[in-house]
Amino acid sequence: MSTLEIDGLSKSFGPVHALRDLSFEVRAGEIFGFVGSNGAGKTTAMRIMLGVLAADAGEVRWDGAALDLEARREVGYMPEERGLYPKMKVADQLQFFAELHGMTAVEAREAVERWTDRLGVGHRRGDAVEKLSLGNQQRVQLAAALVHNPRVLVLDEPFSGLDPVAVDVMSEVLRERAAAGVPVIFSSHQLDLVERLCDRVGIISEGSMVATGTIPELRATGRAPWLLAWRGAEAATVRAALAAVPGLSVTDVEGRADAVHLAVTDEGAEQAALRAVLGIAEVTEFAPDLPSLADLFRDVVSDRPDLAEVSA
Amino acid sequence: MRGPILTVARREFMTRMVTKSNIISLAVMVGAIIAFGIAGKILVPDEIEPEPLRLGLDPAVSELATHLEAAPAGAAAGVTVEELDEAAARAELADPDSDPRLEAWVTGEVSAPTVVFEKDPDAEVLAIVEQAARAATTARAVADMGGDPAALESALAGVAVTVDQVVEPETEIDPGQMIVSVVVVSLLLFALIGSGSMIAMGVVEEKTSRVVEILLSTIRPGQLLAGKILGIGAYGLFQIAVLGGAATGVVAGLGVFPDLEINLGLTFLLTVVWFLLGFGVFALLFGGFAALVSRQEDIGSVTTPLMFALFVPFYVSFFLVPAQPDSTLTKVLSQIPFFAPFMMPTRAAVGSLEAWEMPLALLLTALTIPVLVWISARVYRRAVLHTGGRMKLSEALRGPR
Repeated sequence: MSTLEIDGLSKSFGPVHALRDLSFEVRAGEIFGFVGSNGAGKTTAMRIMLGVLAADAGEVRWDGAALDLEARREVGYMPEERGLYPKMKVADQLQFFAELHGMTAVEAREAVERWTDRLGVGHRRGDAVEKLSLGNQQRVQLAAALVHNPRVLVLDEPFSGLDPVAVDVMSEVLRERAAAGVPVIFSSHQLDLVERLCDRVGIISEGSMVATGTIPELRATGRAPWLLAWRGAEAATVRAALAAVPGLSVTDVEGRADAVHLAVTDEGAEQAALRAVLGIAEVTEFAPDLPSLADLFRDVVSDRPDLAEVSA
Repeated sequence: MRGPILTVARREFMTRMVTKSNIISLAVMVGAIIAFGIAGKILVPDEIEPEPLRLGLDPAVSELATHLEAAPAGAAAGVTVEELDEAAARAELADPDSDPRLEAWVTGEVSAPTVVFEKDPDAEVLAIVEQAARAATTARAVADMGGDPAALESALAGVAVTVDQVVEPETEIDPGQMIVSVVVVSLLLFALIGSGSMIAMGVVEEKTSRVVEILLSTIRPGQLLAGKILGIGAYGLFQIAVLGGAATGVVAGLGVFPDLEINLGLTFLLTVVWFLLGFGVFALLFGGFAALVSRQEDIGSVTTPLMFALFVPFYVSFFLVPAQPDSTLTKVLSQIPFFAPFMMPTRAAVGSLEAWEMPLALLLTALTIPVLVWISARVYRRAVLHTGGRMKLSEALRGPR
């Protein structure tokens, strides 16, 4: 099966290091979410994958071979800055892109019809793009990335500007393409969407990959504390009881006086803590407090205070 | 499946061709050319059928008749002579509607005739009468001396003068040829400005709309630029073929310039060849330079110098070539690739070319094009993804991609 490998990409723009030895891979049939703050290097990385920019170092491989011009015809690309010919008709435009990617005129015509119908802009095929609403232009942009039946999908912010219906259609299309064995990589700031849709996620910061893995893998980094909440006792009493349990550190839960986070250092210490609190209060919640992707993302970014303020 | 260059070229051609405004403006221009031709046909008068000069003759001097009729009549088709008495002659001279018009009435004596005009004496008529009077007087004198006036006349008719010149005459420019060369060069300028602007706008449109990023993920910048130039060039050629063809057709079909000694077919062919070369030179510059800017309103900053580069050779061929068709300056300038596409067709039209000049200019211009391809592709590749303000040319030529 064909894997998309990003191997040691580096790129500088003058004094700015946009990418530093960026490496990751997207396996066949996998949806990979590419997450990072603004300016972290997502767009630069995607542009390099598509050959729009040249890397200073490193290589992008697909199916074991360099992703060259010929291979890039098989890639569906949606750039961050959308681009369509404003005065060209939707169908003519998509036909042009399809033929540019190597389809015959007949194949292209059929594909244009299929994708415009699928993305709900079939009735606008004869209109110039500039006459369409932004949302519909966005759908045409997606059609342009999909029309040539690509075997790799690289989408920069494909969901931004889409209404919920279009988001559903798009999600369905991505899942379907992945199921057909296509490696799919997309970037997004809509982390809930990434969490729901992606098989694996990569978090990029300052041009290098700081974490990759499935969502459960990312959560199980050992950072996840236990949340313990109770009723019928003073916080001070509970904290005193917990202080006696070894292998445990207790922190506040923001905004809650009836709960604490337990960071476990000795295995099984959380069980001892539970027993200790059960003796003095009624426990209402006791579970590992799995971080959302947004929490993980903030964690990663807050290690770099210069980026924290711009995090999504 | 087509190659990417042809796919791009086809798009460029079709999006320009199949618009209402384009079809209308082409139709209007062809209509204007035909109307101009017809107007020219009507306004430029056909040459007037020359009529014989009609003179009245007092029977008293009827001896002059043969000599008057034998006189060379200048533009008129010979001289007809009619015997008239004074009253009839004066009445006819005074009548403005008489047809054919009576130019004058000759009376007096053979050796001292009097010529009566309606109003202003006509020098040509006077010369004819004077010559006839001399001839008649000479004939009388010869006869009086016992000679044969007819023998004298035939001897005089055999007199011939041959012309030789120490200094060769300068090439005379036929105004008709000049008109054709002005039309040819103007057509070229019009086509180059039109296509050059279209290329510049096309390049910037792709930058502004960011569509260039999708294109460049699929094809090379050089292919994109080549396809664009090819497509717009084909469109420009189509325009020049339609307009030039209409002009040639009008001139040939209506016979607007019947005396024109120019091979219109060859002129047209040369126009097309020089259009292709001129287009190659200037289109590449327009395409490469336009990539330096990102917004339509900044196009002027790159196209203005190029427009200037088009107008200078245009005016040079417009004014210098007719004024000094054989000067060294003209010969040198017309070999320079930026000047050649304008000057060579002009010089060919006025016929001041030596055999080696045109092939050399063609070769030099053709050799310049690969160099320009290299420069333009380099500038285009480096500048086309640059956004924001105008990129400096030097930056585009050396900076990393």
